Formats: sequence, C-alpha cells, structure tokens
Amino acid sequence: MTILRTFRTLFAAGLILFVAGVAMAQDRPRVVAVNYPLQYFAERLLGDAAEVVFPVPADVDPSFWRPSISDVSMIQSADLILLNGAGFAAWVDRVSLPRSKLVNTSDAIEEQFIVTESMTHSHGDGGEHSHEALASYTWLDPTLATSQADAIAAAIVSRGLASQDQVDARLEILREDFQALDTQAATALGALEGTDIIATHPRYQYLARRYDLTIASLEWEAGAMPTDAEIADLQALVDETGARILLWEADPPDAAFEITAALGLKNVVFAPLAHGVEGHSYFESFTDALSEMAEAGVP
Amino acid sequence: MNALYLAFAYLRYHWARSLVLTLVAALILFVPVATQILLSTSERALVARGDATPLLLGSRGSQLDLTMAALYFSDERPDPVPMHEVETIWDSGLGIPIPVHTAFSSSGFRIVGTTLDYFDFRDLTASEGRGLSMLGDAVIGADVAETLGKGVGDTLVSSPENLFDLDGVYPLEMPIVGILAPSNSPDDQAIFVDIKTAWVIQGIGHGHEDVVTAAEVAAGSEAVANAAVVQYQRITDENIESFHFHGNQDDFPASAVIVVPNDTRSGTILKGRYLDSENPTQLIEPAGVIQGLVDRIFRIRSLLDVVTTIIAVAALAAIGLAIFLSYRLRAREIATAVKLGARRGMVLRLLSAETITLLSLSGIIAGLGAAIVSRNADAWVSWLLALGS
Amino acid sequence: MITVENLTFRYSATSFQLRVPEFTLQDDERVAIVGPSGSGKTTLLNLIAGILTPEAGRIDVAGTDVAALSDAARRRFRASTIGFVFQDFALLDYLSARQNILYPYRITPALVLDAEARERAEALARSCGIGDKLDRHPAALSQGEQQRVAICRALVTQPKLILSDEATGNLDPDSKSRILDLLFEQATEAGAAVLAVTHDHELLPRFGRVLDFAQFREEADA
Repeated sequence: MTILRTFRTLFAAGLILFVAGVAMAQDRPRVVAVNYPLQYFAERLLGDAAEVVFPVPADVDPSFWRPSISDVSMIQSADLILLNGAGFAAWVDRVSLPRSKLVNTSDAIEEQFIVTESMTHSHGDGGEHSHEALASYTWLDPTLATSQADAIAAAIVSRGLASQDQVDARLEILREDFQALDTQAATALGALEGTDIIATHPRYQYLARRYDLTIASLEWEAGAMPTDAEIADLQALVDETGARILLWEADPPDAAFEITAALGLKNVVFAPLAHGVEGHSYFESFTDALSEMAEAGVP
Repeated sequence: MNALYLAFAYLRYHWARSLVLTLVAALILFVPVATQILLSTSERALVARGDATPLLLGSRGSQLDLTMAALYFSDERPDPVPMHEVETIWDSGLGIPIPVHTAFSSSGFRIVGTTLDYFDFRDLTASEGRGLSMLGDAVIGADVAETLGKGVGDTLVSSPENLFDLDGVYPLEMPIVGILAPSNSPDDQAIFVDIKTAWVIQGIGHGHEDVVTAAEVAAGSEAVANAAVVQYQRITDENIESFHFHGNQDDFPASAVIVVPNDTRSGTILKGRYLDSENPTQLIEPAGVIQGLVDRIFRIRSLLDVVTTIIAVAALAAIGLAIFLSYRLRAREIATAVKLGARRGMVLRLLSAETITLLSLSGIIAGLGAAIVSRNADAWVSWLLALGS
Repeated sequence: MITVENLTFRYSATSFQLRVPEFTLQDDERVAIVGPSGSGKTTLLNLIAGILTPEAGRIDVAGTDVAALSDAARRRFRASTIGFVFQDFALLDYLSARQNILYPYRITPALVLDAEARERAEALARSCGIGDKLDRHPAALSQGEQQRVAICRALVTQPKLILSDEATGNLDPDSKSRILDLLFEQATEAGAAVLAVTHDHELLPRFGRVLDFAQFREEADA
C-alpha cells in the first residue's frame, strides 16, 4: 500500500513537472543562430529570457549544413533568426525563412568583408561568369564580433524579447569582454608579426587582418589525417614561405602532428568556433588558442 | 379558402401553363436580386482585399496595374521594383514589407513568389501538407488544387517565358508541398513559392548540375527543339547545394511590395517619403485604387439596373397579358358562376387567389435561388473576379 | 311555385321586348316552354332566376318577390332556391366530377359545404349512375355523363325549382329521354318543380303542361 501510494505521489509530482516543463518550453521565445558565436552572444545578451538554438549537429560544418524539413519548420517558428552574413551558411538561401524574423548581424560591417578568390564557371553558352567568395569567419576579429553582438542586442530589444535596460547592461559586459580579448590577442599575436603561418583550411582571414598575421592556407579536411599529396603540398608551401606555425581546426590523429613537426612546424589547434568547443565558451576557446599561438611563436 | 381551393385546382390542372408563368415570374424576381447580391459581394470582396492591403510599393507607373498585379495576381506586369526598396522599409522600422513576384505562371495560374510573412499577413493556413520550406517548394491555393486535380506530392512546371531572354533558363519543376485552405480571395487561385524560387525561374539563381542539361540542349540537337520536348530544371536533394544566386540580392526584382505599417503614424511617414515624383518608386493605397475601380463598376451597374427594369417591365406585361388571356378564356366559367348565384366579387377573389398563388410560388423559388446565390456569393465572386485575371 | 304577372322586359340595346301577362307554375309541376329562337324563352328563365330584372311587373318565386330583392340577396336566393341545367353542361374542366357537383358551395356564402352536402353529392351521383366516375375530370366523361354531373350539380343544393335550358339539346335521342327521365326522377325525389326550355317536341308529352312562347311574341308584336 505504502509503496503504491509513494509511487502515485511520485507519478503525480512527475506529471506536474512534466506539464510545467512543456508549458515553459512553449512559453519561452526561441532564437535560432546559424553558428556557435552568434548563439553564445545571444545567450549572453538574453540570459534566461529565451532559448537560443544552434541547430547544426556537431559533426557537420555549419557552412555546408543542409537542414531537414523538420529543421526548417523549427527555424521558421523561431522568434528571431540570427544570420552571420558574409556568405556564411549558404543554406539560408535555399530554404524559406520568415523575413520579419531574420536579422543579418553583419549588415553594419559589410564594408569590412574580405573578398577571397573569385570562382569562374559557365552556364550553357551564356559565357563565363564569376562568383566573388567572401571570407565568412567574421567573429575571429573581436571588433567585428562586437558589432555583431550590437546587432543582436538591437534585434532582441526591438522584438521585445528582453528589456532595453537588461540588454544594455549585458551588452556592456560583453563589450568589455571583447575589449579584453582584443587587447589580449594584440599582445599575444604581436610577437608573430613577420612570422609566416600556414592554416590547414582558410578560416583565419579576419584574425590575420586584425593582428597583421601572414597566413597561407591549404584545403585540408578538419580533424582528418592528411594524405601524402597534401603533405607534399604543405612541404612545398613551407619551402616557399618559410612558415613555422601550422594552424589546425581540430585535433588530427597524433601521427599527423608528428609528420608536420618533422617539417619544422609547430602545431597549434585553433578552433575556428563555427561550432563551439565542448566545455569552453567562445572567449575561453579563443583565449586558449591565443596562448597556444603565442607559445608557438617563441623561437 | 374556397377561392384558394379553386385557384389551386385550376393551377394544378393547367400545370404546364402555371409552371411556365411561375418560372418566368420567378426569373424576373430572381435576376435583379441575384445581380444585386453578386455585385455587392463583388464590391465587398474587392474593397475588402483593398482594405486588407494597407500600402503598396512599386515602380512608378499605373497604380491600377500595380494593384491588380499585387492584390489579384492579374496579367499586368508592373516594372519590377528592386529588393533594396524592401530593405529600405525594413531599415525604416515603420512597417513590414512583403515582396510579391508575379511575373510567372503555371498551368494558367499565377506563380506568386513571396516571403513567409505573406501567409501570416493574409492569415493563410495549409489545409493539407506543409508550408514553404525548401527552395523550389510550391504551396497552391484551394482552387488551383481543385482545377488541376493536383495534391501534395505532385509537381508543377512553370510556363516557359521569353521575357528575360536569358540563355540556359528553363522552366522549373516545383513539388507541391501544401494546399491552402480556401479563403475566397485571389489567394485561392495562386501558386505560392518563395521569392527565391521565383528568381530561380527568372534565371537569377540556378544550379550547376543543370548546366550540363542546358549545354546539351544548346549544343544541340535541333531535334529536341523541333520535337518541342519540354526541358525543365528540377531542384533535387542532389543538386540543391549547387543552387546559388548571382549578384547582389538587393538588386533582385519584385513585382510589388505590400507594406504593412506598424501604425497610422508610420503609414503617414512612409507615404511622405515616396511623394517625390522624381522617385522611381511609388507608395500607394490600394483601397483608393480599388474604390475607383468599384465606382466604375457601379456606374455600369446603374446601366444594368435600367436594362433590368426594362426587361422586368416587358416581362411583367407579358405575364399580365397571359393572365388576362386566361381570364378571357374563362369567361364561360364566370358566366356559369354568376348563373349559379356566385357572390359578388367571387370572380375577382378567384382570379386574385390564382395570381397570388402564382406570385407566391415564384417568390419562393426566387427567394430560394437568391438564398443559394447569397450563400455561395463569396465563392462565385472570387471565381468571377479570377476570370478577369 | 312561380307566379308571373304583367311582366315586361326589354334589352336596352335592341328592339327585343318580352311581355308575359300571366304565368304560374305549381310546386310539383313539370312545364316545358317551346317557341321559336329569339322569342325570349331563355330571357324568361333568367328573369325568374333573378339574373335579369324586369322593366315592370311582378315575379314571385317560392313566395319571394325576386324583382324587389337587392342584387346580393338575389344572388343568395338564386344559389339556395334554384338549380340550373344548361345545354352546354357548363362544367369546369379543371375540377373533377365530384368537385363540379360541389361547385355551387364554393362560390357563395349562402351555402355551407358540410359532410351532409358531400354525402348528398355521392348519393346523387350514384343514383345518376356516375358514382364510380366522381374522380374523373369532364374531359374523361361522355356527353351523357357530363350532363348527369350537371344535373347532380343542379340538385345538390336541394332547390325548390329547377330551370333547364335545353338540357337535352346536345344529346343523342337515346340519351335525351334517359336524361329527362333522370331529371324528373331526381326532381320528384327532391320535391322540386321543373321549368324546361326545349326544342325536342317528341319529349313534350312527358311534361305536365307546355307553354308556347309564340303567344307572348304575338302579344309583344301587337
């Protein structure tokens, strides 16, 4: 009897919690971000006022993610959709999103976009035409990231997701964090001026411009073991530039580090943060990477 | 009661004559009433659509063309307005701009490229399937589904257009992913796609897998062209990644932009910004344009009223003659009744009972007809209005 | 039943004049009126029925001075006291035989259509041999049957006087006598007097008395 009663009480309590949970989940506004930094900035600015969703699975590059129909309908029903702009997340051009919910966080910094190589191709006999590609990882320049956070704050306020005062206060703290990060980066990377760096993937254009770094890029797959041909390319690039540091997006197999170390390169894993690093915030990951680079820069 | 009894017996015995008289009288009563109902419903429908669309932004030109294209998806093609005008409205923070792109059609129905805001604005919901999600998706109005007999899972192919004279631009095959609940408005006769899909049809956006198809066809087999084989592009799971747009989206075209101002004040400010006649765009109030159109219809209506009156008078005269002749035919009956001692006024009672019975029957029939028209007026009017586009 | 004294009548538009110095009809008499066409036989019937009013003289029918009645009273009197049988039957094509018989009840408030009247109609029809044809319309009846319906109509109101205007004129010889028999039979049954205009001289012997209109004509001419 007692057991049964206890069970019943527990069941009732569980039911109440469940219902309350569902109600809360429904009541809380939803904000969708197309990459981790935007999700992180939005969370910092919103506190508990909304649920911020970054829908891309950890093993998919957010730039090339393809949402399913159910992903699209989840995103469509969001109260705010934060886009990065600068050509990041091309999928937004191939799905229908409510324009009234979209905010392009890089609208104000379009002038500062970095144009990478042009791709040329032809259609039918219509002759050739070219696409200008833009470097997309704007948040690796803390000053651009600050501007994006400003845009998010404005959008949150204008959509009434949080009060002006609260958001202003949180933005103030966030801006101070960006300021500190920028200062720290300038210090940490100052010593690397004139040092040639090679990146396994072209992700670090804005970082390089902000801190006067010289970074040449390969097109390696993140976290994978480089092929012999890729190693050969790297060798050639090292010979050409005299680079001393190799930036990795994610940890490759240890053997890869050994091979590149043998080429005289110092391996640094600098997560480009389109995805967050498990257990580390944007600032923590960024700071960690900066110290690693600073260390690698010591001859 | 006796007079009614005799009247009814007479009408029943001469049922064919009674039927014709009843139907003719019913028609005379019904036609003006039905016309009136349909006209006032048309007016309401037209004005309602205008009233429900606060402001319309478009290229400077005919306001009527702009209104017809954006509200009724007619054949008019106002000069396109660039998308940066949409962004300008967004940036003003004074209202919500909803672009509509109505340059294309499929199977006789207009393809309306727009944004998801349109569905919220018009309060359109899918009765079947889902809303627009992927590039290429089409959501069709209730009438389109019924007329074409198509449903979720079927496809539509945009009609080939030579408008833009672009090489390598082929009609687009679009999967139907949803059917809208009927709204008794032009939305029932439209095929909705994302405006980006409309740009793909226009050739501003395309996928690369199709380049091969296009090249093959262009390179050549004349036979293909001669055999009038319809070539079209299709957005698939495999090639969707390759679809991309050329140029700056700010320069992409829309036929018109519906603008929903936040409040009256915002509306006034917005209107003020587009007053300059040098401005290549204009911001108009469709309600005013529609009212002008309705006024014109109603001038025609007064003419129609005159025609109806003349016909009614003529027809009533004919009915009167028929009744008079039938009275003459009954002179003998009347004489007999007099000889048998019929009360004074009996004849008049008998004849009026007949006439009243006839007219009551006609009235009931006309009334039923009017009730049917009135009940279906919304649907029929939206169909009638659609005929014009 | 009928007493006519010093009756004169003329149609205003014509030179026709009718003069009847004296004429009487007893309560159960059967009298035939003969005479050339246009001699005023039908006019006399109409005067007696109160359809026409005399210029001068007195017409007394069943104790009522017909000429002295108002128009409405004359109509009521006619409906309740007199039964009419016409040469052309004067049936209504849109009513069944039954409703034709009951027709008088439908056109005047002087008569009330009750169950008794309906039963009387049935009984009359049966005794006239058309009891099984009551639901037919006139078009579906023979001439003889139609006249039987007309006789039933004249008798259903239980009149004291039956005026017959060439009631057998349109019938074949066999029917003529059968119909006349029927008319007399029913009149006897109802206790009504019969005044009949006729051209059928072979039927005259059946009447109690024959009034030749030629005498009035001569008087009128003189």
